[in-house]
Amino acid sequence: MSSSQTTTVNDPHLDNTTTTNNDTLPNNNSQEPSTSTDSSQYRSSTQYSFKPPPENSKTSTKPDLDDNEEEKRDDSMYVCNICLDIAKESVITMCGHLFCWPCLNCWLETKPQRQLCPVCKAAISKDKVVPLYGRNNEKQQDPRSKKSPPRPQAQRTEPDNSQNYQGFQSFGDAGFHLSFGIGAFPFVFFGSSFNFNDIRQRNGQNGSQFEEDQFLSKVFLWVAIIFFCWLILA
Amino acid sequence: MAVNMAVSRIKREFKEVLKSDEIAQCSIKLELANDNFTELRGEIAGPPDTPYEKGTFLLEIHVPETYPFNPPKVKFITKIWHPNISSVTGAICLDILKDNWAAAMTLRTVLLSLQALLAAAEPDDPQDAVVASQFKDNYEMFCKTAKHWTNVYAKGPHKFPDFDAKVQRLRDMGVNDFDARAALSRHNWDINLATNDIF
Ligand SMILES: [Zn+2]
Ligand SMILES: [Zn+2]
Repeated sequence: MSSSQTTTVNDPHLDNTTTTNNDTLPNNNSQEPSTSTDSSQYRSSTQYSFKPPPENSKTSTKPDLDDNEEEKRDDSMYVCNICLDIAKESVITMCGHLFCWPCLNCWLETKPQRQLCPVCKAAISKDKVVPLYGRNNEKQQDPRSKKSPPRPQAQRTEPDNSQNYQGFQSFGDAGFHLSFGIGAFPFVFFGSSFNFNDIRQRNGQNGSQFEEDQFLSKVFLWVAIIFFCWLILA
Repeated sequence: MAVNMAVSRIKREFKEVLKSDEIAQCSIKLELANDNFTELRGEIAGPPDTPYEKGTFLLEIHVPETYPFNPPKVKFITKIWHPNISSVTGAICLDILKDNWAAAMTLRTVLLSLQALLAAAEPDDPQDAVVASQFKDNYEMFCKTAKHWTNVYAKGPHKFPDFDAKVQRLRDMGVNDFDARAALSRHNWDINLATNDIF
């Protein structure tokens, strides 16, 4: 049973061309006597997870805990189909494919418009995956409820435009005051123009910044006047 | 995190490929082209009973940071005459390298799919329109041309002395080897049409 099962887990048979003839291989892995009927795939995947212990899989390096061989045999069945490591925060799709929740979530977010199982391309959705709780699962918490790790971000450095940014910031502040304080409008307006002065002083002097602030002040002045007229007329 | 994920997966895949049956049969190969597992070299054997039989085709593989959530970027380094592969740039038109990529696919399945593509061209979804129309209109000519390219660029066994002679004639006129062969191939080895095309 484990042989065919493992093969499916490790080798998705995504295209009809992957003709693996695992079962015909003679077994030549003498270092693992317990696994007598396994395919090469099985063997290799076990070795990945055990021989050079990966940074983050504690289970594989723990020498104590009961039956080590038993553990070895079973682990490769629980390899995530995306990261190819032992699945963490495991979930299983309705089509029976196993993933780490963070891995599957990242896949679903990569292709929000076409939510397909990465192995068999069955339609899947976030709500229809089943979290797997083993006996020793510390807290039986639905992995989907946890915050998933931050999405990979593209490498992009922002151009240095802190000056403009300051300008925008003060503009934003002023806007905020305006929308909240129609009643006390003129005061807030004066308040915000004081702000401009403050910022200008704090920033040290910069011609364009100054002009920008001047311009903004004028804009606000006009906005204020129009508002005032409207208030009076209405 | 994304970078680590891509690298750790490629490392696992790399070992998987090294131990796979296809390696044992010399059907596919994979090697590193740089130290950080982002550039790789693939190699596939031309499938039997195709014009590419006994040829060896090299591939350039670039693994993006977002791998395996996005497909690797793959193109042929070895020149090849095939409807779904650009005869000039080696760019490949294959669904799994674009929209049909799935995160559970591996470099091994990619190489095997490319091998399958060599065995079963899809001229209705071409990358190289000229090759595709030759494939549909003059299949015999397509096969001969593809075999010839396999011989010249991929160490294939089938020599075509008449093709070589025509290429030589254009070279004598100062055309470089590849341009001469490509022009002749585009024009069903009609040397007059090819000459007009070039000059
Ligand atoms: Zn995973
Ligand atoms: Zn599935």
